[in-house]
Amino acid sequence: MSIAAPNKPRPTWAVWLGAIAVIFGVLQTAVYSNEWMTQKVISEDITAMQSTPDCPEDELLEEDISLAECELMAAKVNIMIVSRPSWFRDFQMCISLLGGIIAFASIFVGAALVEYRNWAPTGAVVTFTVLLVINTVEFAAATHAGPLLRATYLWNITLWFFIHLIMTSAALAGHHKKDK
Amino acid sequence: MTQTRGFSRRAIIMHWLITISIFFLFISSWWMLSLPFPSEDFKYRVLPFQVHKNIGITILFFLAILLYLRFKFPPGTVVISHAHPWMSRLVIFYHFLLYVIILSCCVSGYMSSSYSGWNTTLWWIIELPNWGYEDEELNIFYSEIHLWTCWALLVLVAIHVSGAIYHAFRNDGIVQRMLRL
Ligand code: HEM
Ligand code: HEM
Repeated sequence: MSIAAPNKPRPTWAVWLGAIAVIFGVLQTAVYSNEWMTQKVISEDITAMQSTPDCPEDELLEEDISLAECELMAAKVNIMIVSRPSWFRDFQMCISLLGGIIAFASIFVGAALVEYRNWAPTGAVVTFTVLLVINTVEFAAATHAGPLLRATYLWNITLWFFIHLIMTSAALAGHHKKDK
Repeated sequence: MTQTRGFSRRAIIMHWLITISIFFLFISSWWMLSLPFPSEDFKYRVLPFQVHKNIGITILFFLAILLYLRFKFPPGTVVISHAHPWMSRLVIFYHFLLYVIILSCCVSGYMSSSYSGWNTTLWWIIELPNWGYEDEELNIFYSEIHLWTCWALLVLVAIHVSGAIYHAFRNDGIVQRMLRL
Protein backbone atom coordinates (compact mmCIF):
# COMPACT_ATOMS: atom_id res chain seq x y z
CA MET A 1 0.00 0.00 0.00
CA SER A 2 1.54 3.31 -0.93
CA ILE A 3 0.13 6.77 -0.73
CA ALA A 4 0.98 9.65 -2.99
CA ALA A 5 4.01 11.68 -1.97
CA PRO A 6 3.21 14.99 -0.28
CA ASN A 7 3.63 18.19 -2.27
CA LYS A 8 6.98 18.91 -0.66
CA PRO A 9 9.28 16.07 0.37
CA ARG A 10 9.69 15.90 4.12
CA PRO A 11 12.35 13.87 5.88
CA THR A 12 10.84 10.91 7.69
CA TRP A 13 12.59 11.71 10.97
CA ALA A 14 10.89 15.13 11.08
CA VAL A 15 7.46 13.66 10.38
CA TRP A 16 7.56 10.97 13.05
CA LEU A 17 9.29 13.15 15.64
CA GLY A 18 6.74 15.89 14.92
CA ALA A 19 3.80 13.50 15.33
CA ILE A 20 5.25 12.11 18.56
CA ALA A 21 5.92 15.63 19.87
CA VAL A 22 2.29 16.51 19.21
CA ILE A 23 0.96 13.45 21.08
CA PHE A 24 3.21 13.99 24.10
CA GLY A 25 2.58 17.74 23.95
CA VAL A 26 -1.16 17.13 24.16
CA LEU A 27 -0.75 14.66 27.04
CA GLN A 28 1.62 16.91 28.98
CA THR A 29 -0.63 19.93 28.57
CA ALA A 30 -3.43 17.84 30.09
CA VAL A 31 -1.21 16.50 32.88
CA TYR A 32 0.11 19.95 33.84
CA SER A 33 -3.39 21.47 33.77
CA ASN A 34 -4.55 18.74 36.12
CA GLU A 35 -1.61 19.30 38.47
CA TRP A 36 -2.35 23.02 38.52
CA MET A 37 -5.96 22.28 39.40
CA THR A 38 -4.90 19.79 42.09
CA GLN A 39 -2.81 22.41 43.88
CA LYS A 40 -5.47 25.07 43.39
CA VAL A 41 -8.17 22.87 44.92
CA ILE A 42 -6.15 21.47 47.82
CA SER A 43 -5.51 24.66 49.72
CA GLU A 44 -4.03 25.05 53.20
CA ASP A 45 -7.38 24.15 54.68
CA ILE A 46 -7.04 22.34 57.98
CA THR A 47 -10.75 21.76 58.64
CA ALA A 48 -10.51 18.76 56.33
CA MET A 49 -7.83 17.29 58.56
CA GLN A 50 -9.92 17.61 61.67
CA SER A 51 -13.16 16.08 60.47
CA THR A 52 -14.30 12.80 58.96
CA PRO A 53 -15.96 12.95 55.56
CA ASP A 54 -19.65 12.24 54.98
CA CYS A 55 -20.13 8.86 53.37
CA PRO A 56 -23.87 8.41 52.73
CA GLU A 57 -25.02 4.95 51.69
CA ASP A 58 -26.48 6.08 48.34
CA GLU A 59 -23.25 7.84 47.31
CA LEU A 60 -21.22 4.74 48.20
CA LEU A 61 -23.55 2.68 46.03
CA GLU A 62 -23.39 5.18 43.19
CA GLU A 63 -19.61 5.21 43.07
CA ASP A 64 -19.29 1.54 43.93
CA ILE A 65 -16.90 2.04 46.86
CA SER A 66 -16.76 0.82 50.46
CA LEU A 67 -17.09 2.96 53.58
CA ALA A 68 -13.38 2.45 54.33
CA GLU A 69 -12.43 3.66 50.84
CA CYS A 70 -14.67 6.70 51.21
CA GLU A 71 -12.97 7.67 54.47
CA LEU A 72 -9.52 7.15 52.95
CA MET A 73 -10.35 9.70 50.27
CA ALA A 74 -9.96 12.36 52.95
CA ALA A 75 -6.65 10.81 53.95
CA LYS A 76 -5.45 11.26 50.39
CA VAL A 77 -6.07 15.02 50.59
CA ASN A 78 -4.50 15.11 54.04
CA ILE A 79 -1.32 13.49 52.76
CA MET A 80 -0.89 16.45 50.44
CA ILE A 81 -1.70 19.06 53.10
CA VAL A 82 0.44 17.50 55.83
CA SER A 83 3.52 16.47 53.90
CA ARG A 84 3.73 19.40 51.47
CA PRO A 85 6.55 21.80 52.44
CA SER A 86 5.42 25.43 52.70
CA TRP A 87 6.89 26.37 49.29
CA PHE A 88 5.55 23.32 47.47
CA ARG A 89 2.06 24.50 46.52
CA ASP A 90 3.18 27.80 44.95
CA PHE A 91 6.09 26.10 43.29
CA GLN A 92 3.89 23.36 41.75
CA MET A 93 1.38 25.93 40.50
CA CYS A 94 4.12 28.01 38.85
CA ILE A 95 5.97 25.09 37.30
CA SER A 96 2.71 23.49 36.09
CA LEU A 97 1.70 26.76 34.47
CA LEU A 98 5.09 27.17 32.81
CA GLY A 99 5.27 23.48 31.85
CA GLY A 100 1.72 23.64 30.48
CA ILE A 101 2.56 26.64 28.31
CA ILE A 102 5.74 25.05 26.92
CA ALA A 103 4.00 21.70 26.40
CA PHE A 104 1.26 23.53 24.50
CA ALA A 105 3.92 25.30 22.43
CA SER A 106 5.52 21.92 21.67
CA ILE A 107 2.31 20.94 19.83
CA PHE A 108 2.96 23.78 17.36
CA VAL A 109 6.64 22.85 17.12
CA GLY A 110 5.56 19.27 16.36
CA ALA A 111 3.25 20.49 13.60
CA ALA A 112 6.09 22.66 12.22
CA LEU A 113 8.36 19.60 12.16
CA VAL A 114 5.75 17.61 10.25
CA GLU A 115 5.55 20.48 7.75
CA TYR A 116 9.33 20.76 7.85
CA ARG A 117 9.41 24.52 8.30
CA ASN A 118 12.95 25.94 8.18
CA TRP A 119 12.92 26.90 11.83
CA ALA A 120 11.39 23.65 13.06
CA PRO A 121 14.55 21.56 13.80
CA THR A 122 16.09 24.38 15.87
CA GLY A 123 12.72 25.13 17.46
CA ALA A 124 12.35 21.47 18.41
CA VAL A 125 15.80 21.28 20.03
CA VAL A 126 15.09 24.42 22.06
CA THR A 127 11.54 23.46 23.12
CA PHE A 128 12.36 19.88 24.08
CA THR A 129 15.43 21.07 26.01
CA VAL A 130 13.29 23.54 27.96
CA LEU A 131 10.86 20.72 28.79
CA LEU A 132 13.81 18.61 29.92
CA VAL A 133 15.05 21.42 32.17
CA ILE A 134 11.56 21.84 33.63
CA ASN A 135 11.45 18.09 34.41
CA THR A 136 14.85 18.34 36.08
CA VAL A 137 13.70 21.23 38.27
CA GLU A 138 10.50 19.35 39.14
CA PHE A 139 12.57 16.29 39.98
CA ALA A 140 14.83 18.28 42.31
CA ALA A 141 11.78 19.81 44.01
CA ALA A 142 10.01 16.47 44.48
CA THR A 143 13.10 14.89 46.03
CA HIS A 144 12.85 17.55 48.76
CA ALA A 145 9.14 17.03 49.38
CA GLY A 146 9.24 14.03 51.71
CA PRO A 147 8.59 10.33 51.10
CA LEU A 148 4.82 10.52 50.58
CA LEU A 149 4.98 13.14 47.83
CA ARG A 150 8.10 11.56 46.33
CA ALA A 151 6.13 8.35 45.91
CA THR A 152 3.38 10.27 44.12
CA TYR A 153 5.50 12.44 41.88
CA LEU A 154 8.97 11.09 41.28
CA TRP A 155 8.22 8.10 39.07
CA ASN A 156 6.15 10.03 36.57
CA ILE A 157 8.57 12.97 36.47
CA THR A 158 11.30 10.42 35.72
CA LEU A 159 9.21 8.97 32.92
CA TRP A 160 8.63 12.39 31.36
CA PHE A 161 12.29 13.23 31.79
CA PHE A 162 13.32 10.22 29.70
CA ILE A 163 10.65 10.91 27.09
CA HIS A 164 11.98 14.45 26.66
CA LEU A 165 15.57 13.24 26.74
CA ILE A 166 14.85 10.91 23.81
CA MET A 167 12.99 13.63 21.93
CA THR A 168 15.79 16.16 22.47
CA SER A 169 18.43 13.68 21.27
CA ALA A 170 16.34 12.81 18.20
CA ALA A 171 15.81 16.51 17.41
CA LEU A 172 19.55 17.16 17.75
CA ALA A 173 20.38 14.27 15.45
CA GLY A 174 17.86 15.56 12.88
CA HIS A 175 19.22 19.08 13.23
CA HIS A 176 22.78 17.92 12.55
CA LYS A 177 21.60 15.90 9.55
CA LYS A 178 19.96 19.05 8.21
CA ASP A 179 23.21 21.01 8.60
CA LYS A 180 25.04 18.62 6.29
CA MET B 1 -1.28 9.70 -7.95
CA THR B 2 -1.48 13.00 -6.13
CA GLN B 3 -1.64 13.95 -2.49
CA THR B 4 -4.85 15.90 -2.04
CA ARG B 5 -5.30 18.81 0.36
CA GLY B 6 -5.97 18.13 4.02
CA PHE B 7 -8.45 19.55 6.49
CA SER B 8 -9.06 23.30 6.69
CA ARG B 9 -7.04 25.20 9.28
CA ARG B 10 -10.08 25.90 11.45
CA ALA B 11 -11.05 22.21 11.38
CA ILE B 12 -7.50 21.36 12.44
CA ILE B 13 -7.72 23.79 15.37
CA MET B 14 -11.01 22.15 16.44
CA HIS B 15 -9.49 18.66 16.18
CA TRP B 16 -6.60 19.60 18.46
CA LEU B 17 -8.76 21.48 20.96
CA ILE B 18 -10.99 18.40 21.20
CA THR B 19 -7.94 16.17 21.64
CA ILE B 20 -6.42 18.23 24.48
CA SER B 21 -9.82 18.55 26.17
CA ILE B 22 -10.56 14.82 26.02
CA PHE B 23 -7.17 13.85 27.44
CA PHE B 24 -7.62 16.44 30.18
CA LEU B 25 -11.07 15.05 31.02
CA PHE B 26 -9.72 11.51 31.33
CA ILE B 27 -6.74 12.44 33.48
CA SER B 28 -8.64 14.87 35.71
CA SER B 29 -11.68 12.59 36.14
CA TRP B 30 -9.58 9.76 37.55
CA TRP B 31 -8.15 12.22 40.04
CA MET B 32 -11.38 14.06 40.89
CA LEU B 33 -13.21 10.84 41.72
CA SER B 34 -10.60 10.12 44.40
CA LEU B 35 -11.51 13.31 46.27
CA PRO B 36 -13.78 13.10 49.35
CA PHE B 37 -17.54 13.41 48.79
CA PRO B 38 -18.79 16.99 49.02
CA SER B 39 -19.96 18.24 52.43
CA GLU B 40 -19.71 21.29 54.67
CA ASP B 41 -16.00 20.66 55.40
CA PHE B 42 -15.01 18.97 52.16
CA LYS B 43 -15.50 21.15 49.11
CA TYR B 44 -12.69 19.71 47.02
CA ARG B 45 -14.95 18.16 44.40
CA VAL B 46 -16.84 21.33 43.51
CA LEU B 47 -14.36 23.02 41.17
CA PRO B 48 -13.06 19.89 39.37
CA PHE B 49 -16.61 18.67 38.70
CA GLN B 50 -17.64 22.08 37.38
CA VAL B 51 -14.57 22.24 35.15
CA HIS B 52 -15.18 18.67 33.94
CA LYS B 53 -18.78 19.46 33.01
CA ASN B 54 -17.88 22.79 31.38
CA ILE B 55 -15.16 21.31 29.23
CA GLY B 56 -17.30 18.25 28.41
CA ILE B 57 -20.15 20.43 27.18
CA THR B 58 -17.75 22.71 25.28
CA ILE B 59 -16.43 19.65 23.43
CA LEU B 60 -19.94 19.24 22.02
CA PHE B 61 -19.68 22.69 20.42
CA PHE B 62 -16.16 21.99 19.11
CA LEU B 63 -17.41 18.72 17.65
CA ALA B 64 -20.33 20.44 15.92
CA ILE B 65 -17.97 23.08 14.48
CA LEU B 66 -15.51 20.40 13.30
CA LEU B 67 -18.32 18.51 11.57
CA TYR B 68 -19.65 21.66 9.95
CA LEU B 69 -16.20 22.70 8.72
CA ARG B 70 -15.25 19.27 7.40
CA PHE B 71 -18.39 19.27 5.22
CA LYS B 72 -18.14 22.95 4.22
CA PHE B 73 -14.46 22.58 3.26
CA PRO B 74 -14.12 18.85 2.66
CA PRO B 75 -10.59 17.46 2.71
CA GLY B 76 -9.55 15.76 -0.50
CA THR B 77 -10.02 12.01 -0.55
CA VAL B 78 -6.91 10.01 0.20
CA VAL B 79 -5.73 8.06 -2.81
CA ILE B 80 -4.18 4.81 -1.67
CA SER B 81 -2.93 2.52 -4.33
CA HIS B 82 -2.95 -1.24 -3.72
CA ALA B 83 -5.40 -0.72 -0.85
CA HIS B 84 -8.72 -2.49 -0.98
CA PRO B 85 -11.70 -0.14 -1.28
CA TRP B 86 -13.10 -1.61 1.94
CA MET B 87 -10.16 -0.08 3.81
CA SER B 88 -11.20 3.44 2.87
CA ARG B 89 -14.78 2.62 3.80
CA LEU B 90 -13.57 1.23 7.14
CA VAL B 91 -11.67 4.47 7.88
CA ILE B 92 -14.76 6.57 7.08
CA PHE B 93 -16.87 4.33 9.32
CA TYR B 94 -14.21 4.53 12.06
CA HIS B 95 -14.22 8.34 12.03
CA PHE B 96 -18.01 8.30 12.08
CA LEU B 97 -17.83 6.03 15.13
CA LEU B 98 -15.43 8.45 16.84
CA TYR B 99 -17.96 11.26 16.40
CA VAL B 100 -20.80 9.08 17.71
CA ILE B 101 -18.87 7.91 20.78
CA ILE B 102 -17.68 11.42 21.70
CA LEU B 103 -21.29 12.59 21.39
CA SER B 104 -22.61 9.71 23.53
CA CYS B 105 -19.96 10.31 26.14
CA CYS B 106 -20.93 13.98 26.43
CA VAL B 107 -24.69 13.33 26.41
CA SER B 108 -24.51 10.54 29.01
CA GLY B 109 -22.34 12.76 31.25
CA TYR B 110 -24.87 15.55 30.97
CA MET B 111 -27.80 13.23 31.65
CA SER B 112 -26.06 11.66 34.63
CA SER B 113 -25.36 15.09 36.02
CA SER B 114 -28.97 16.19 35.38
CA TYR B 115 -30.32 13.41 37.60
CA SER B 116 -27.72 14.01 40.32
CA GLY B 117 -29.46 17.01 41.81
CA TRP B 118 -26.48 19.28 41.00
CA ASN B 119 -27.02 22.17 38.60
CA THR B 120 -24.70 22.95 35.72
CA THR B 121 -23.86 26.56 34.96
CA LEU B 122 -21.82 26.58 31.78
CA TRP B 123 -18.54 28.40 32.50
CA TRP B 124 -20.27 29.96 35.53
CA ILE B 125 -22.36 32.12 33.16
CA ILE B 126 -25.16 30.22 31.42
CA GLU B 127 -27.53 28.27 33.64
CA LEU B 128 -28.31 25.05 31.75
CA PRO B 129 -31.77 23.53 32.01
CA ASN B 130 -31.83 20.58 34.38
CA TRP B 131 -33.66 18.04 32.27
CA GLY B 132 -33.80 15.68 35.16
CA TYR B 133 -34.52 15.82 38.86
CA GLU B 134 -32.70 14.15 41.69
CA ASP B 135 -33.12 10.44 40.94
CA GLU B 136 -30.52 8.03 42.25
CA GLU B 137 -31.36 5.16 39.91
CA LEU B 138 -31.29 7.23 36.72
CA ASN B 139 -28.13 8.94 37.91
CA ILE B 140 -26.43 5.57 38.34
CA PHE B 141 -27.83 4.33 35.01
CA TYR B 142 -26.42 7.29 33.05
CA SER B 143 -23.18 7.19 35.06
CA GLU B 144 -22.67 3.61 33.90
CA ILE B 145 -23.31 4.60 30.30
CA HIS B 146 -20.93 7.53 30.74
CA LEU B 147 -18.25 5.25 32.14
CA TRP B 148 -18.54 2.66 29.36
CA THR B 149 -18.80 5.13 26.49
CA CYS B 150 -15.69 6.88 27.85
CA TRP B 151 -13.80 3.56 28.03
CA ALA B 152 -14.90 2.86 24.45
CA LEU B 153 -13.68 6.31 23.45
CA LEU B 154 -10.28 5.66 25.01
CA VAL B 155 -9.94 2.41 23.03
CA LEU B 156 -10.98 4.14 19.79
CA VAL B 157 -8.53 6.99 20.45
CA ALA B 158 -5.71 4.53 21.11
CA ILE B 159 -6.31 2.79 17.78
CA HIS B 160 -6.68 6.18 16.04
CA VAL B 161 -3.36 7.42 17.46
CA SER B 162 -1.58 4.18 16.57
CA GLY B 163 -2.84 4.64 13.01
CA ALA B 164 -1.52 8.21 12.96
CA ILE B 165 1.90 7.08 14.19
CA TYR B 166 1.96 4.25 11.65
CA HIS B 167 1.38 6.75 8.86
CA ALA B 168 3.94 9.17 10.34
CA PHE B 169 6.64 6.47 10.23
CA ARG B 170 5.66 5.63 6.66
CA ASN B 171 5.82 9.35 5.84
CA ASP B 172 2.97 8.87 3.40
CA GLY B 173 1.32 12.28 3.74
CA ILE B 174 -1.64 11.26 5.97
CA VAL B 175 -0.64 13.03 9.19
CA GLN B 176 -0.05 16.26 7.27
CA ARG B 177 -3.79 16.35 6.63
CA MET B 178 -4.40 17.10 10.33
CA LEU B 179 -0.99 18.52 11.33
CA ARG B 180 -0.33 21.83 9.68
CA LEU B 181 0.40 25.29 10.98
C1 HEM C 1 -15.85 13.65 25.79
C2 HEM C 1 -16.31 14.10 26.91
C3 HEM C 1 -16.13 13.44 28.26
C4 HEM C 1 -15.19 12.54 28.70
C5 HEM C 1 -14.05 11.91 27.92
C6 HEM C 1 -15.50 12.26 30.08
C7 HEM C 1 -14.79 11.36 30.87
C8 HEM C 1 -15.16 10.97 32.14
C9 HEM C 1 -14.56 9.91 32.89
C10 HEM C 1 -13.42 9.02 32.40
C11 HEM C 1 -15.18 9.84 34.09
C12 HEM C 1 -14.88 8.87 35.22
C13 HEM C 1 -15.87 7.77 35.20
C14 HEM C 1 -15.70 6.81 36.34
O1 HEM C 1 -14.57 6.38 36.60
O2 HEM C 1 -16.72 6.52 36.98
C15 HEM C 1 -16.19 10.88 34.13
C16 HEM C 1 -17.04 11.14 35.19
C17 HEM C 1 -18.03 12.10 35.18
N1 HEM C 1 -18.38 12.92 34.12
FE1 HEM C 1 -17.49 12.94 32.31
N2 HEM C 1 -16.60 13.00 30.47
C18 HEM C 1 -17.01 13.73 29.38
C19 HEM C 1 -18.08 14.60 29.33
C20 HEM C 1 -18.91 14.91 30.41
C21 HEM C 1 -20.02 15.85 30.38
C22 HEM C 1 -20.45 16.67 29.15
C23 HEM C 1 -20.55 15.87 31.63
C24 HEM C 1 -21.73 16.67 32.20
C25 HEM C 1 -22.21 17.75 31.77
C26 HEM C 1 -19.81 14.93 32.44
C27 HEM C 1 -20.07 14.66 33.78
C28 HEM C 1 -19.43 13.72 34.52
C29 HEM C 1 -19.76 13.42 35.90
C30 HEM C 1 -20.87 14.09 36.73
C31 HEM C 1 -18.87 12.41 36.32
C32 HEM C 1 -18.81 11.78 37.72
C33 HEM C 1 -19.26 10.42 37.88
C34 HEM C 1 -20.26 9.90 36.94
O3 HEM C 1 -21.40 10.40 36.91
O4 HEM C 1 -19.91 8.97 36.18
N3 HEM C 1 -18.83 14.37 31.66
N4 HEM C 1 -16.17 11.56 32.91
C1 HEM D 1 -8.63 12.40 21.91
C2 HEM D 1 -7.96 12.19 20.85
C3 HEM D 1 -8.45 12.30 19.42
C4 HEM D 1 -9.73 12.36 18.93
C5 HEM D 1 -11.04 12.30 19.70
C6 HEM D 1 -9.63 12.49 17.49
C7 HEM D 1 -10.71 12.60 16.62
C8 HEM D 1 -10.63 12.64 15.24
C9 HEM D 1 -11.74 12.66 14.35
C10 HEM D 1 -13.22 12.67 14.79
C11 HEM D 1 -11.26 12.68 13.08
C12 HEM D 1 -12.07 12.60 11.81
C13 HEM D 1 -12.19 13.89 11.13
C14 HEM D 1 -13.14 13.70 9.95
O1 HEM D 1 -12.83 12.93 9.03
O2 HEM D 1 -14.19 14.35 9.99
C15 HEM D 1 -9.82 12.70 13.16
C16 HEM D 1 -8.94 12.74 12.09
C17 HEM D 1 -7.57 12.68 12.20
N1 HEM D 1 -6.83 12.62 13.38
FE1 HEM D 1 -7.56 12.56 15.25
N2 HEM D 1 -8.30 12.52 17.14
C18 HEM D 1 -7.55 12.40 18.30
C19 HEM D 1 -6.17 12.39 18.40
C20 HEM D 1 -5.30 12.41 17.34
C21 HEM D 1 -3.86 12.34 17.44
C22 HEM D 1 -3.07 12.30 18.76
C23 HEM D 1 -3.38 12.34 16.16
C24 HEM D 1 -1.97 12.30 15.65
C25 HEM D 1 -0.87 12.62 16.14
C26 HEM D 1 -4.51 12.44 15.26
C27 HEM D 1 -4.42 12.49 13.89
C28 HEM D 1 -5.49 12.56 13.03
C29 HEM D 1 -5.35 12.60 11.58
C30 HEM D 1 -4.05 12.56 10.79
C31 HEM D 1 -6.66 12.67 11.06
C32 HEM D 1 -7.04 12.78 9.59
C33 HEM D 1 -7.35 11.45 9.01
C34 HEM D 1 -7.68 11.59 7.54
O3 HEM D 1 -6.77 11.80 6.77
O4 HEM D 1 -8.86 11.56 7.19
N3 HEM D 1 -5.67 12.47 16.01
N4 HEM D 1 -9.46 12.67 14.51
